[in-house]
Amino acid sequence: MMHYDVCVLGGGPAGLAAAISAADNGAKTLIIEREAKLGGILKQCIHDGFGIVRFGERLTGPEYAGRFIKEMVKRDIDYITNAFATDAKRLPDGTFSFEVQSAQGVLNITCNAVVLACGCRERTSRQVFIHGDRPAGIFNAGTAQYFVNILGYMPTKRCVILGSGDIGMIMARRLTLEGAEVEGVYEIKDTPAGLARNVAQCLDDYNIPLHLSTTVTRVIGEKRVEAVEVAKVDEHMNPIEGTERIIPCDALILSVGLIPENEIAEKLGVELDPATKGAYVDQKLMTSVPGVFSCGNALHVNDLVDYVSQSGDIAGKFAAKYKPEKRYRVKIDYPKNEFSYVVPQYYDLMEQGELTLYFRVRKDCTNKTVFIDNDEKVIKKKKYQRMLPSEMETLTVKPENGRFGEISLRME
Amino acid sequence: MTRELTCIVCPNGCRLKVTDEGGNLTVSGATCKRGEAFGKSEVLNPTRSITSTVATKFKDFPLLPVKTLGEIPKDKIFEAMKVINSVKVTKRLKTGDVIIDDFFGAKLVATTDMARLPKEVRIKEAE
Amino acid sequence: MRKMAERIEKVQKALIRKGFKEVYARQWRQSVILEGEMDDWKQIVKAGKAAAKFGYKGVVNEIKLKGYTAPPLRVPDVQDGALEGKRPDVMIIGGGVIGCSIARELTKYNLTILLADKESDVAMHASSRNDGMIHPGIASHAGTLRGEMNVKGNAMYTQLCKELDIPFKRYGNLILYSDHVFGVAAEPVLAERARKLGIEGGKISREYLHQIEPNITDKALGAFIYPSSGVLSPYKLTVALAENAVENGAEVSLNTVVTGMEIDDNEICKVFTNRGTVYPRLVINAAGTFADKVAEMAGDKFFSIHPRKGELVILDKKKGHLVTRSMGLVGLDQAFADTKGGGVMRTIDGNVLVGPDAYEIPEREDFSTHRDHIDAICKKHLPLIKGFTQGDVITYFAGVRAPTYEEEFIIERSDYVPNLVHAAGIQSPGLASAPAIAERIAEITVNALKPYVDIHKNPKFNPYRRRVPHMAALSFEEKQKVIKENPDYGVIICRCEEISKGEIIDAIHSPIPATSIDALKRRVRPGMGRCQGGFCSPLVTKIICDETGMTPDMVTKSGGNSQLVLEKTHKGGDAK
Repeated sequence: MMHYDVCVLGGGPAGLAAAISAADNGAKTLIIEREAKLGGILKQCIHDGFGIVRFGERLTGPEYAGRFIKEMVKRDIDYITNAFATDAKRLPDGTFSFEVQSAQGVLNITCNAVVLACGCRERTSRQVFIHGDRPAGIFNAGTAQYFVNILGYMPTKRCVILGSGDIGMIMARRLTLEGAEVEGVYEIKDTPAGLARNVAQCLDDYNIPLHLSTTVTRVIGEKRVEAVEVAKVDEHMNPIEGTERIIPCDALILSVGLIPENEIAEKLGVELDPATKGAYVDQKLMTSVPGVFSCGNALHVNDLVDYVSQSGDIAGKFAAKYKPEKRYRVKIDYPKNEFSYVVPQYYDLMEQGELTLYFRVRKDCTNKTVFIDNDEKVIKKKKYQRMLPSEMETLTVKPENGRFGEISLRME
Repeated sequence: MTRELTCIVCPNGCRLKVTDEGGNLTVSGATCKRGEAFGKSEVLNPTRSITSTVATKFKDFPLLPVKTLGEIPKDKIFEAMKVINSVKVTKRLKTGDVIIDDFFGAKLVATTDMARLPKEVRIKEAE
Repeated sequence: MRKMAERIEKVQKALIRKGFKEVYARQWRQSVILEGEMDDWKQIVKAGKAAAKFGYKGVVNEIKLKGYTAPPLRVPDVQDGALEGKRPDVMIIGGGVIGCSIARELTKYNLTILLADKESDVAMHASSRNDGMIHPGIASHAGTLRGEMNVKGNAMYTQLCKELDIPFKRYGNLILYSDHVFGVAAEPVLAERARKLGIEGGKISREYLHQIEPNITDKALGAFIYPSSGVLSPYKLTVALAENAVENGAEVSLNTVVTGMEIDDNEICKVFTNRGTVYPRLVINAAGTFADKVAEMAGDKFFSIHPRKGELVILDKKKGHLVTRSMGLVGLDQAFADTKGGGVMRTIDGNVLVGPDAYEIPEREDFSTHRDHIDAICKKHLPLIKGFTQGDVITYFAGVRAPTYEEEFIIERSDYVPNLVHAAGIQSPGLASAPAIAERIAEITVNALKPYVDIHKNPKFNPYRRRVPHMAALSFEEKQKVIKENPDYGVIICRCEEISKGEIIDAIHSPIPATSIDALKRRVRPGMGRCQGGFCSPLVTKIICDETGMTPDMVTKSGGNSQLVLEKTHKGGDAK
């Protein structure tokens, strides 16, 4: 039996930041990582553009992860890789116990606080209801990325990409650089799902066409993808009859969204927000279960890794400081028709302190001001030239006159 | 002559307008100095940094991620890829170690450490 | 002779009365053959059905669909002489649950057995494309083979699954109704059927129903319950049967397609395949949707298979706890239809399965899914249980049933080809019936071969399949022990299903080696979960390579040219 102050589940950018932050706040910390190496998905994200917010530099994924790993090693933080938490329980005394399976056997690990930093997974072809045949050659962008960047094998010579999420566009460029032909990127919505700069530097630079309001309706191929059928969609995203086109290709690569991984959270009884598919948390990123914290893409899908690490910092710090105390959580209010979600969803009045809000707007909007109100007084406002659903925004506020009360978010 | 561009310097992706009046370039829409510089260079001499992988001779680490430190001319990207694909690393490199010193005006460097962490599994005590 | 003419006249008249004016009926041996041309497949099937109730042994439906050419049989690309000159006592054509059950059953005797299947694995067609339900038998009429085999087969499963070391649960089955008229009208019919077939169960009250299945919506006014109904993984079962057959001496030859036969004096003397000519003493036709084609090769096509497709939906394991029993809401209109319209059920792996639907198609190997069908299945069945949403769908698939126009099993020795035995027309409840069908076919086979072979029991027959650990099902102490012996069992590869490297390696080296992604998926489930292999497929690819010496570009999804990756990236001057 091993005991830690804080156990961090996941050794990616969120987990590494959380572990470092927990250790810096005096906690004896363990990272449990299911893959063979630390770094999470960043290991395969060999492109650059990470770390501009945090380090003021354009780093590649491995470089960004490497910085955190270095810090972690410096602090002599314990970690175990190739290790999988098969069971998690909250014990009657409020501490936690994990059953962790690895090549060394099954370990029983207990801890005072848990940070869930399990990241997210990709939505699959099935979850976006792709129909037709089911041959080889249908990949999630992340899977294709692993094959190319880690194993060094090409999953395609000529492909169609469905979904203009960042990974999809980055893979379009990556595959092109490695000699494949990307016939086009197809997006069911009328705006790109990923960052504008990725449209420019991943697609436009390589003359890869982006087809908006168009989707893949059918896969054709007995053993390996032989073609896909695409069609224009109407405003309800239903395919328009007569606009179908058959595109010969050997693969369909999907970048159709990410879903937070919360299997362990569910085992621990953590309540999940249907809007984010991550946990409901307060400003300390503590979930509905006292002592369980959530951060990174397991909490909500971020568009920049910098924010993933930032949430790890917060979760790690408060996990280290965690003591079973009374909480008094108030819901942070926001108009659902304007914001698709706001994280954290709660504020714990017992722990007065800084509040960082992460939010996404529901629709594309220009020249708007976002207000944060505390007890009906404006405590922060920020003007935005443009906000897009694909881009997460963040605002930090300090408590005015020492105390937060009823907090709400709105825009004008 | 006016060109509209998306700035790729940072994730903000500002929409830039670069106007050329008799060789005199003005950039509007940029919210920082670097964006302004990008707008100008994009019109005069577009450059890009690129990332890829190179082969190594090590079985446990067959592919090493690399990037250009600095930018190379945009029209040399595919030529650069040919060079990248011909490289075979024979030493265990660290992040930032130079693989090719003059790489189309930039440097080609490793972006990860090939050495292992002190231990793959590290738990200090088992009480 | 006059009687015969009268009967065919009756068929012809019935066809005309039903509007099939261009269909011509004639008698051949004891079957009726329909000929002509029509432009609607549904009508062609209807014509076949219309001809089925006149006491003929079978309907052979040769009506052509206007402007339609059937796609060619999907064949393996292997060409070798691996089977050339083999002289097995029994050659089984078809490696589905029926063929594999028969193969295992026959290894109880001193017979040499060769099972051939054209696919790269067993259970590639209907046997991996069904709901895994071991029906209680209540859907069949008393006096039919389907009813008899179902009830018999169902009872054999407890012991069989123990021997084969595969999970099996008798969760029970509920026929729900939302119409009191149905509840009242069906009760005596079902009670009589249950009595005649020997099935336990009967009507339960609405209160009791909601007590045992608290998440059923109020739509269900009552139910009939049949506790013997079970669930298992149909492909795990088929693989286990085949493995045990191989362990007991049978030969399973995959990627082997039967291309023709040579008949001499009404007997099959040669069976031609892509892997050489085989000279079997006896042939068993267990070819599923192609059973009529195999019969035709032997000159005994006395029936037709009309492919009946069904699409099915799988929900995330997270919703598995919301139901226990398999259940379907049956309306008055469906009470006497060929299929009962599907329902919802908890699978043996804890997911929820929804469907299937049923529709007639001319293709026998069309496993594509369609938005309208999947949507309709969700719309029809998901509201049955509180808490199910379309967002819970993790995957969907399609299968093709192999019914005859008589909608009855054919389990018999051919009337005209003495060394041919048919296990044909095996549609639902074929899975539940499989052990009973295998027993019956083995009996027929042994009797047929007795004059030529000195048959006795195989003293070395071991009904127990080699056991391999299934990590997720083990206790803490058991896991500890297993991992200590082999650390690979500690390394989780598939995070959704919690499958270890050791389990995958076991399957790669099993009696029927699983070296494709799908073959491994069917045996040990990596990639079956919510991420659908997004995370683990590259890792599984790597393990296959490490264990077999293949390179990643040789690893396939499901055999043939279904490679996952196409070539190496051109690194280190490796350019091709």
